[in-house]
Amino acid sequence: MATYTKHHCWSLLLRLFHWMFALSIVFLVVTGFYINDPWTNTMIEGSAAWPMANMRYIHYLAAYVFSAAVAIRLFLYIFGNAQERILDILPVTGRNINNLFMTLMQYSYISDKHDERLGHNILAGLAYLFTFIAAIVMIISGFYMLFPEAPFWEGWGLALFGSQQFARYLHHILMWWFMIFAVIHIYLCVWNDVKEPEGLISSIFTGVKFKHKA
Amino acid sequence: MADTVNNAVEPRLDRRGFLKGCTMAAAALGLSEAMIPKMVEAAASAERPRVIWLHFQECTGCTESLLRSSHPDLARLLLDIISLDYHETVMAAAGHQAEQNLHETVDKHPFLLVVEGAIPTKDNGIYCKIAGKTAMDILKTVAPKATAIIAIGTCATFGGVQAAAPNPTGAVGVQDLVSGKPIVNIPGCPPNPVSFLGTVLHYLTFKKLPALDKLNRPLFAYGRRIHDHCERRAHFDEGRFVENFGDQGHKLGYCLYKVGCKGPETFSNCPAVRFNDVDVWPVSVGHGCVGCTEPNFWDTMTPFYERLPNVKIPATGIIDSADRVGKTVLGVTAAAVGIHAVVGIGKRLIKGKSEE
Ligand code: HEM
Ligand code: HEM
Ligand code: SF4
Ligand code: SF4
Repeated sequence: MATYTKHHCWSLLLRLFHWMFALSIVFLVVTGFYINDPWTNTMIEGSAAWPMANMRYIHYLAAYVFSAAVAIRLFLYIFGNAQERILDILPVTGRNINNLFMTLMQYSYISDKHDERLGHNILAGLAYLFTFIAAIVMIISGFYMLFPEAPFWEGWGLALFGSQQFARYLHHILMWWFMIFAVIHIYLCVWNDVKEPEGLISSIFTGVKFKHKA
Repeated sequence: MADTVNNAVEPRLDRRGFLKGCTMAAAALGLSEAMIPKMVEAAASAERPRVIWLHFQECTGCTESLLRSSHPDLARLLLDIISLDYHETVMAAAGHQAEQNLHETVDKHPFLLVVEGAIPTKDNGIYCKIAGKTAMDILKTVAPKATAIIAIGTCATFGGVQAAAPNPTGAVGVQDLVSGKPIVNIPGCPPNPVSFLGTVLHYLTFKKLPALDKLNRPLFAYGRRIHDHCERRAHFDEGRFVENFGDQGHKLGYCLYKVGCKGPETFSNCPAVRFNDVDVWPVSVGHGCVGCTEPNFWDTMTPFYERLPNVKIPATGIIDSADRVGKTVLGVTAAAVGIHAVVGIGKRLIKGKSEE
């Protein structure tokens, strides 16, 4: 019988980030699909239902939550606890490179060994970092479309995308990354929860993980 | 010389037409009525600026739309207020005499340079030559001496159709080759003559170029998205769309978003200024905007009847809509996740549950 100890892993702020991020993305994807191809088409005049206006409004509300979440994560990458800082997930130390290798072996069923550590494994951490960067591109392209005449967004938007249309195109294509990420992410969370009794899924609600007593 | 050129093309404008043209330009510039007399005065009395108009890789559509639009007033007003020293389409001079006019103005006088058409740069620019010189060379000698440059049309501003992928001649716009000179871009395919005239009149009245956006387009004409001042916008917000050309929604004048209108990503004054004295613009007659005033519009605004460009996957020959590619990748991901799970379960069945 193994014994476990409780370790505090994720700060409240990180958990807040996670759920702001995940829930806003659900709304952003649904309303984003609507904006691209409005599936309600009405011939009713004078109804004042404004489906497109409302969908865009929800998109922008969710976009502000999303942007706030990204700002929180940026803060935590620098000032968060040991598991939350950027250095903890970059394959720059021997320990981290070894973890990346062991994770790949375990995920491909070649080895059963699990590298025990408190924070994210490096593969997950890199996927999160990539998603974080994609999120920043979503924010810049989104605000560029929303406030095209504001000098700040106009400057960044033109420098990065060249035109409104290209920003929109990229904004749309990147949406698919968030959906693909969500599928893999939720699957691997469940997979890890089955494999390792550390309480991974509950950790994103409680902030606590369980580790073997040393 | 210049005056001969003017008179040969159009007789001088009467006062009524002159006022009308100035008023249209003032309206386009967003100036108050009180400014019109000042503008008229500037246009009538100022020393007429000399203009050299260079044609490179182009179709002359910009010149045609300017001169042969149903705005004789505009064209004549323009020829009245500027001294068009060199313009290949309308000048009377030919051959060596024309060349001489060009050199005389370039060497001896301050002048405004108008460029129409893109400049090919591949293979030292041999794909466009005039009088034995490449467009690149001509621009290189003329541009540094100009007081300011106006690039007219999408070709001269962003390269236009010549620069569309794969851009066989390496065509570029003026701003890609010239630096250190004020450049005003008046894109459009063709641009509205009023936008060009407004720029020239602004220059005459205030002795400076109009305020520009970051793509060097005058804000008075390109400061707002088509979509933000389109007469069909209420249909957009209310979710009333044309699904197919000719359907009931189309007959009722609904929004053209779903049949590819690029108004949401295009900056221009088309809905306000309109064209050809009959107050129309594409959307008012039932066709979406194709985004002709934006950089790379041939590449990013096509297919014209779809909202977004297609995805081209290199080395596979696959060209499809972003959503079909996205759905495929998502499907493959889901399948991979399923296989991964099945392999895991299978392995556990064979090897048994590992120790905890
Ligand atoms: C993961 C996050 C996001 C997703 C998945 C997403 C998705 C989408 C999609 C699919 C579209 C439709 C584009 C098209 O095909 O025409 C869209 C449009 C748009 N999004 Fe987002 N978006 C996200 C974040 C944001 C953010 C952070 C902003 C910032 C304000 C934003 C602002 C906009 C704007 C302004 C439009 C254009 C709406 C219009 O012009 O009608 N989006 N988004
Ligand atoms: C029911 C749904 C979800 C559950 C149960 C869940 C669970 C978790 C868990 C347990 C972690 C920590 C994993 C680790 O230690 O490596 C995590 C992290 C993360 N999740 Fe989710 N997640 C869900 C949905 C989503 C969605 C939809 C997204 C975005 C598309 C998302 C984005 C993230 C990100 C970016 C992180 C990394 C946090 C960080 O930056 O440190 N999650 N999630
Ligand atoms: S017709 Fe085009 S510009 Fe007008 S509201 Fe619809 S999408 Fe916008
Ligand atoms: S409506 Fe659009 S495509 Fe037509 S001239 Fe104006 S900007 Fe160009």
